[in-house]
Amino acid sequence: MIHQAYRLGYRSLTLVGISGFIIGLVLTLQARPTMVEFGAEFYIPTMVTISIVREIGPVLTAMICAGKLGSGIGAELSSMKVSEQLDAMDVSGVNAFNYTVVTRVLATTLMVPLLVFYADAIGLLGSYFAVNLEGEMTLKLFFQKVIGSIGYADIIPATAKSILFGFAIGIVGCYKGYTAEGGTVGVGQAANSSVVAASFLIFIIDMIAVQLTQLII
Amino acid sequence: MYESAATYQPPTDLKTPKAIEGDQLYKSFDRNQVLKGVTFALHEKENLVVLGKSGTGKSVLIKCIVGLIKPDSGDLCILGNNIKNIESEDEWREIRRKVGFLFQGGALYDSMTVRENLEFPLKRQPNKLSKGEMKTAVEEVLEHVGLLNAINKMPAELSGGMKKRIALARTLILKPEIVLYDEPTTGLDAITSREISELILHMQEAFGISSIIITHDMACARLTANRMLILYEGTFKAEGTYEELERSPEKWVRAFFE
Repeated sequence: MIHQAYRLGYRSLTLVGISGFIIGLVLTLQARPTMVEFGAEFYIPTMVTISIVREIGPVLTAMICAGKLGSGIGAELSSMKVSEQLDAMDVSGVNAFNYTVVTRVLATTLMVPLLVFYADAIGLLGSYFAVNLEGEMTLKLFFQKVIGSIGYADIIPATAKSILFGFAIGIVGCYKGYTAEGGTVGVGQAANSSVVAASFLIFIIDMIAVQLTQLII
Repeated sequence: MYESAATYQPPTDLKTPKAIEGDQLYKSFDRNQVLKGVTFALHEKENLVVLGKSGTGKSVLIKCIVGLIKPDSGDLCILGNNIKNIESEDEWREIRRKVGFLFQGGALYDSMTVRENLEFPLKRQPNKLSKGEMKTAVEEVLEHVGLLNAINKMPAELSGGMKKRIALARTLILKPEIVLYDEPTTGLDAITSREISELILHMQEAFGISSIIITHDMACARLTANRMLILYEGTFKAEGTYEELERSPEKWVRAFFE
């Protein structure tokens, strides 16, 4: 499981980090003119923080992971399936399901929320950078406003849905990989349909999670 | 020699006990009936070669033996265990540890080195070995297949013949009582095919392993077979030694040898 967590999580840090930084930066640059027009420039960190922590961070990171991890898991397991490696595990008395599926699903369920925290942090750094492109705000003040604008009601639902996103990415990738058929064509189809199905599932989970959060809080 | 499924009965004159016994096995996929009442026996320390045209169910039969495919009906006893009485995956795993399977393509784990491929099944057995014991076991089995120098290579760096040998080593490392070979020499040149065939014989002699060898390679069959069965239209319709079948009065039997 630790090996899978390293493979699936640690090796995604660069992609998730760069994407997070750009999103934070672009969101701030896009929002700035309107905020300035309404004399609310001071609230840019608050607006960006809530957007990133509640929605953009989890969904964007999950979509990146669906593309990178989901397709990777689908392709790897389907390739193992069509080359009879999974059968080889079974016939040597090894529980292939435990070794391949359980470890990967646990790894994505654990790593996606951690990647979301990481993407949120880098995204906010990108926002700070954008704020200082045209204005002036110290890092300390920026992060004081960031911390002051979020609470448990933002962090807990976002974390909960990130865990569900991770689980969905892992389970969809493993299912598509494990049920692949038809040689190399099957491998391609499994990788492709893992991304499509996981992405769709992420939006469905997000929609349900937002509704539930609004009902509870 | 048996000419039809109706007259075929497993031989009773072989001296060693039966390692595997199949009785009236049927298996179909959708409307395609593949096995139509297959009856056979593999005796201990015997090399049984199964011949048959492509698509006649040879691989299906040996996959039934290791539980990768479940027969629709019939009795199948493996080392005294009737598969009808096997209820859990754990019980299957126990039997699979005694029955090795060499896949047609080798099925080496391509993300692992040769050493890791061999250690993989060892690490996941109930009787844990120490690191030193595992190292010795890996090196011993690689020496048997003549590939100790490939221990740190990745499967992608190996030739087809080497992959088959490593796959055989991975099968043997669990010290199985029976090994099922699914076309062990397919895709290999004549020299490498002979080396693999000799290795199969060596395994029988050195470890007393009983084997079912599925092959189209008559040179391999001639070298390894104690007895041969021909699967035809879903049942075993001919049986005998290589020489007996080669001289069969039946034209369709002789066609395999021509």
